[in-house]
Amino acid sequence: MMNLSRSVALISLFLLPLLSFSFSVDNPTDRRVLVLLDDLSLKSSHSIFFNNLKSRGFDLDFKLADDSKLALQRYGQYLFDGLIIFAPSTERLGGSLDSKSIADFVDSGRDLILSADTSASDLIRGIATECGVDFDEDSSAMVIDHTSFSVSDVDGDHTLIAADDLVKSDVILGKAKIEAPVLFRGVAHSLNPTNNLVFKVLSASPSAYSANPSSKLSSPPQLTGSAISLVSVMQARNNARVVISGSLQLFSDRLIRSGVQKAGSQNQYEKSGNEQFVTELSKWVFHERGHLKAGSLVHHRVGETDEPAIYRIKDDLEFSVEIYEWSGKSWEPYVANDVQVQFYMMSPYVLKTLSADKKGLFHTSFKVPDVYGVFQFKVEYEKLGYTTLSLSKQIPVRPYRHNEYERFIPTAYPYYGACFTTMAGFFVFSFVYLYHK
Amino acid sequence: MVKSTTKDAQDLFHSLRSAYVATPTNLKIIDLYVCFAVFTALIQVAYMALVGSFPFNSFLSGVLSCIGTAVLAVCLRIQVNKENKEFKDLAPERAFADFVLCNLVLHLVIINFLG
Repeated sequence: MMNLSRSVALISLFLLPLLSFSFSVDNPTDRRVLVLLDDLSLKSSHSIFFNNLKSRGFDLDFKLADDSKLALQRYGQYLFDGLIIFAPSTERLGGSLDSKSIADFVDSGRDLILSADTSASDLIRGIATECGVDFDEDSSAMVIDHTSFSVSDVDGDHTLIAADDLVKSDVILGKAKIEAPVLFRGVAHSLNPTNNLVFKVLSASPSAYSANPSSKLSSPPQLTGSAISLVSVMQARNNARVVISGSLQLFSDRLIRSGVQKAGSQNQYEKSGNEQFVTELSKWVFHERGHLKAGSLVHHRVGETDEPAIYRIKDDLEFSVEIYEWSGKSWEPYVANDVQVQFYMMSPYVLKTLSADKKGLFHTSFKVPDVYGVFQFKVEYEKLGYTTLSLSKQIPVRPYRHNEYERFIPTAYPYYGACFTTMAGFFVFSFVYLYHK
Repeated sequence: MVKSTTKDAQDLFHSLRSAYVATPTNLKIIDLYVCFAVFTALIQVAYMALVGSFPFNSFLSGVLSCIGTAVLAVCLRIQVNKENKEFKDLAPERAFADFVLCNLVLHLVIINFLG
């Protein structure tokens, strides 16, 4: 009996470190990533991308998409922090995976990279629709662009596109500008207009359209121009990040290594922008960049340090909050000039922009408005590419006490004078009335 | 026509004046006090019309002290007037004592409300 309990304790001691191998509040970068492929040769044809991920410390687990032993969770705990699905032609996922379990995976705050290609199956389309992205319904259609194609396109049907319409965001694509166009070859998708969490990272030029390259167009194409998105991104309200790409070749070694020259332009680049693009995007999607953390909201009256339980109208107060940004290895102070605080009761009575010091402390001071009630300090920060911050703290505001009103108001001196004159008059009158003769 | 109305007005004025001269001195003192109080109240109302009613509680307090003490003085006059049959049995000292006490209470309230 003793031996059994001792061995159980030893085993659990060994299992304990395993629990730390996942992302946590203090270390938000993902660790273990499951890569689903429909063909194991993708490991070698996309080796540059996967080796890049491995060199940054990710634990990649390669599996075939219809492997019957696939599981995302065991005993209620998720085994992976990130999921890469490079299986565009898979109809059914193996094991316990299906589009609902992948949706639950994203709902739990975990990240996903999904790539379709020229033969996107209904399963992949279904997962993409859950994220607000609609692929072209015609399964044989590809993106064709007769003015923005790459001159190295061997087939001559202008499906290899040199795209440079990138989203302007340093946090998603990195500080360094991507000089060379990004090579793309695949299917078009559009964004659901009612979904405000999804946005385009790489969009097609206005002359692009989605059609079958090998047959004549019988009717005008449905998806055209800048409405076509080539790579889109969604950040869910729980800060899970999803990248959806219309081309698996975007990530491939062949397009990464190839040079690019856009048709009609003189610039010839030795190397396409693909490697920089997919590297920076993977840094963003796996929370190596753009992840914010806020400390608690601190407020107090000017001149005091303790937080009062209640404010009085027209009090002067100071408010501050600490915000840190994850740099991939440590928490750095966040610097921005657009974080705002609201003093809110049904609508914001005070809206102030917080000023940042270099150590991540955002502070401001203002006067409590002349309204009583229960207010909230609200910081709602939603910047493109950064995690959303939604903080609030409740505080009541009371009116003046009876002895806190203004006294000795100069405009009221005549009234004070009148009262005292009346009292003096009464005094004099009573003397005169009693003692007159 | 005009002449007769002015003459009537003058006659009315003279008869009022002569009747008033006949009133006892203490009633005249009370009347003087009432006029003083009402005059002070009117000055305050004119000031408020000029400047606006900002510390409204102070304005009310000032006007109420004048009007209140005027009302109490009128009550004293009614009670002390010997020609008044109703208060024949009331001692004038009692009336004066009531007047003083009510004024004390009035001024206490006024000072509290003055802010």
